[in-house]
Amino acid sequence: MSNTIEAEGLVKRYGDKTALDGVDLEARAGSVLGVLGPNGAGKTTAVRILATLVGPDGGVARVGGHDVTREPAKVRELIGLTGQYASVDEKLTGRQNLMMIGRLLGLGRAPARARAEDLIGRFGLQNAADRAAQTYSGGMRRRLDLAVSLVGEPSIIFMDEPTTGLDPQVRAELWTVVREQIARGATVLLTTQYLEEADQLADEIVLIDRGKVSARGTPDELKARAGDRRLEIRPEHDAEKAERILAEVTGLRPHRGENGVISVPVLDPALPPAALRRLDDAGIVLTEHALRRPTLDEAFLALVAAPAEGLTDHTAANAAERRSA
Amino acid sequence: MTARNTFAQGMTLTWRSLVPLRNQPGELIQLLLQPIFMIVIFVVVFGAMSGDQSGAVQRLLPGVLTQVALTQTITTGLRLAEDIGNGVFDRFRSMPIARSAPLMGRILADTATMTLTVAVALLVGSVVGFRIRTSPLEALGGVALLLAFTLALGWVSAWLGLRARSAASMQGLATAVLLPLSFGSTALIPAANMPGALQWWARLNPVSHLADSLRSLFTGGPVGANVWITLGWIVAITACFVPLAVRTYARRIR
Ligand SMILES: Nc1ncnc2c1ncn2[C@@H]1O[C@H](COP(=O)(O)OP(=O)(O)O)[C@@H](O)[C@H]1O
Ligand SMILES: [Mg+2]
Repeated sequence: MSNTIEAEGLVKRYGDKTALDGVDLEARAGSVLGVLGPNGAGKTTAVRILATLVGPDGGVARVGGHDVTREPAKVRELIGLTGQYASVDEKLTGRQNLMMIGRLLGLGRAPARARAEDLIGRFGLQNAADRAAQTYSGGMRRRLDLAVSLVGEPSIIFMDEPTTGLDPQVRAELWTVVREQIARGATVLLTTQYLEEADQLADEIVLIDRGKVSARGTPDELKARAGDRRLEIRPEHDAEKAERILAEVTGLRPHRGENGVISVPVLDPALPPAALRRLDDAGIVLTEHALRRPTLDEAFLALVAAPAEGLTDHTAANAAERRSA
Repeated sequence: MTARNTFAQGMTLTWRSLVPLRNQPGELIQLLLQPIFMIVIFVVVFGAMSGDQSGAVQRLLPGVLTQVALTQTITTGLRLAEDIGNGVFDRFRSMPIARSAPLMGRILADTATMTLTVAVALLVGSVVGFRIRTSPLEALGGVALLLAFTLALGWVSAWLGLRARSAASMQGLATAVLLPLSFGSTALIPAANMPGALQWWARLNPVSHLADSLRSLFTGGPVGANVWITLGWIVAITACFVPLAVRTYARRIR
């Protein structure tokens, strides 16, 4: 049996609000799928459907080869879930939380204790293991929540925004833990609002926005695409003319900023010198010019804001290339 | 899911609900303080005011006992609503465990704490001078009747908690249900001392019949029809609310 996650055409409506509007997802066995999207995109809804917590209104999903609506019990045997909000029992200690889950999964008292001990060590909770979870910091709570979801050594793991709201150091710690799980061979579906996080952890990224997939590909593909370098110029005069020249050279419509900066994406490295030459020939003096690669955050914003077709076409082409390669 | 697994999971979840009492002294103290407070306020203070301390203790303690137990039935629905609200319920739902285990664990744990509360209340009662005048069998019958009644209300509480939008709204709902039941009863005040409409309600109220049953079963006097009427209510409430709660639960846990 393979530890794959597959979803086709998932639809979920809440009243007249469409949370998911035909989402396809696929994670190969042993891979990490990053589901990236802003708040309200539909990430949690997708995870809840895949983890058998809510039924879809349309589409099918198979987890580990089992249909989530027809064989939820089979799916539950395979998965571990870390929800968006840590769902540990606040009144139990960390150790008791882990023991409870182990016992529920059918471990005897001693094996459950041993498993708890092991996870406490791996997640660095030694000093807090015998304190009630309600005394934990946000980061500790998240770590405990993650540990709890791993008690059954699941082969498929869902993590819904495991690091949102945590400071960078705690986030990096959690990444290490996630990487260990990946190394163990589990299939992981991880949702996040941070491209950087998806970039760090995922093999493939699906970008969703307002319930629809707006892009998919490897982190490098997405970064390269969204992170197209931009030529930025600030002409001293003749802004209209400069804009026209940039448009002619690149074949794309430049963006005119309020500070007098005109910018345009450049896909071909030969273009910037050509553009600058044409501007010079036209006698336009530039007070400033630069070739900039957007930061990851800018790239993410660009991906979210971009018209979906262009990007999906592009990534479809990339996917086709990969297949033929 | 075999019956044995289901039982084991139910016991694990019972443990989970009881272990905070051991973890945190505050939790246990809070549980025990409520009966102590109620007994001191009603039995001792009202008794002293009436001038006949020992008569008042004998008359009031069974009533206070029902109040204490009634208040505690909120716990079942409140904890269920909390588990739903903070995602613990979803964690259980994503696991390969019997669907019924979380509800079973809740009810078993609450029955255990209720038994503890009743025992403590009787103990505190004996410290302030309450004496059981009947046979051990009748006294045990009284305790059993009280526990059966609170168990029946526990299902009402569970039903409310599973329907409520939040733990806070569950608390509000339960208070709205419990107030007329506990204060519009003859638990503390004889019906003869009440104004007309309230008197009518108090004579109908199952809690009145329960409190009067306990008075007879603990301190003697004619038992009369009260025990039978109380048993009738227990059967009726259970028959109504177990299916309602289970259906709401099944819908929530699907
Ligand atoms: N239980 C619900 N009832 C009503 N609307 C919901 C519910 N869950 C999610 N939504 C709506 O569906 C959309 C997607 O939500 P969600 O999946 O939580 O997004 P994300 O996890 O990406 O932030 C949001 O607009 C949200 O308001
Ligand atoms: Mg979410």
